[in-house]
Amino acid sequence: MNAVRQWSERLIGAVPIIGLLALWQAIAMSGLAPPALLPTPGVVFARFFQQLGSPAFLDHAAVTLYRLFAGFMIAVVMGVTLGIAAVGSRAFAAIVTPVVRVLAPVPKIALYPALTLTLGYDDASKIALVIADAMFPILLATYQGASAVEPKLAWSARAAGVSPVRTLFTVVLPAAMPSVLTGARIGLIISCIVVFLAEMITSTDGLGHLLMRAARNFQTVDMFVPLIAISMLGLMLNALFNLVRRRLLRGFPEEK
Amino acid sequence: MIAIEGVSKRFDAARDRRHLALNDVTLSVAEGEFVSILGPSGCGKSTLLYIVGGFVEPTAGRVLVKDVPVRGPGPDRGPVFQEFALFPWKTVLGNVMYGLQQGGVPRAEALARSRELLTMVRLSAYENFYPKELSGGMKQRVAIARTLAYRPNILLMDEPFGALDAHTRTGLQNDLLHIWDKDRKTVLFVTHSVEEAVFLSDRVVMMSSAPGRIKQIFDIDLPRPRSRAELLLDRRFQDYVVEIEKMFDDTAQQAPA
Repeated sequence: MNAVRQWSERLIGAVPIIGLLALWQAIAMSGLAPPALLPTPGVVFARFFQQLGSPAFLDHAAVTLYRLFAGFMIAVVMGVTLGIAAVGSRAFAAIVTPVVRVLAPVPKIALYPALTLTLGYDDASKIALVIADAMFPILLATYQGASAVEPKLAWSARAAGVSPVRTLFTVVLPAAMPSVLTGARIGLIISCIVVFLAEMITSTDGLGHLLMRAARNFQTVDMFVPLIAISMLGLMLNALFNLVRRRLLRGFPEEK
Repeated sequence: MIAIEGVSKRFDAARDRRHLALNDVTLSVAEGEFVSILGPSGCGKSTLLYIVGGFVEPTAGRVLVKDVPVRGPGPDRGPVFQEFALFPWKTVLGNVMYGLQQGGVPRAEALARSRELLTMVRLSAYENFYPKELSGGMKQRVAIARTLAYRPNILLMDEPFGALDAHTRTGLQNDLLHIWDKDRKTVLFVTHSVEEAVFLSDRVVMMSSAPGRIKQIFDIDLPRPRSRAELLLDRRFQDYVVEIEKMFDDTAQQAPA
């Protein structure tokens, strides 16, 4: 019964995606844009699957995945640590809050030229940009979630003789996990976008670089392939994320 | 055992919204005594319990436990809350073991002690369940086992059976008395049920609200061990309930609701 419903839900979810592809197909065939500039989805996907067999293309995808994943993981560690510390210590919160308020709205992409100058054109500058952008939603979600944890959970630990710091990490953080993971999910999506953007601006490798190279050479089919690739990477990471999430949130009430 | 000396607590939500929750409360509880604190909602009875627990600081006065001033929570005072406050990400066994493991008790020993407690609260078949999979009565039994695990001398129970249906509630009252009879810990038990207070306690402390203070203390002179079925037929039990109920009604009517 459940499996049937799950599959029917997935089928319903596929409808808008098929609709989008159909719209793309319709525009491509309508003659609004010449076929040389706007290829049909069929041609693009054919090229995408062909590229999956190309080691050079896979290398570019791997580079992007590495930057994305490294940046995201560091952002999670930093965001969660800073968020929890701010809940645990008023003094620390007093220091962090104004910094967050000032830095969070800054378009981090504007820092990218400075990052490339200081960290170079390789991985470091891109990872730094991903961290800068992905960290804030994770930090804010952790702070909000941990602040809202029922105090009696922490009291129960403190009464058992557990120190305030240990209580923070063994009770408050796990109790805030649903909120932390919501922030992390947003951070993951931002990471996908930002790593691609950074590679489009200045890079010698990665999916974003492939897109720009194709665009400069009027290779319109190859221009769309990296987009499909980053979307697929996002899907894969999201599936992985859900796996981790289900494991971490076992025992919490279901959301639906 | 517990000496509450002139404790007051004021909450300052804003300059014009100050609320005196407790006004100059003094009470002493002897070792092994079961004392219930009874009062209308908003009389500060839970706040008083939290102050004894060291979770909330009093605005004035102090609490001594074994002649030592309370400066924060400690494993000599084990709380049990109406909301159970179980850790949702831990199994039943994980919840009970938590305090022991954090306290550095070797795993095998913590496991043995936790299983023993789960057997005592009749939940050994549920050790791998998560709290969300249990009924309210079962959750509260887990919470009681979790608190008993670190062997507090004093139990601080904050309307522990308030969220349960009448049947489960009386069942747990019996369970609690049964457990308590084994080693007679000192218990402070907050409730708004007169019958529950009389059934369980050696003394019932009646509080009045706005500001919260002690109105009267009743000594409950009924034999132990107590059986619910017998007590319900006992004239003295009925008299206590009627007398306190009457006083409770007067108190509640004076309250600004």
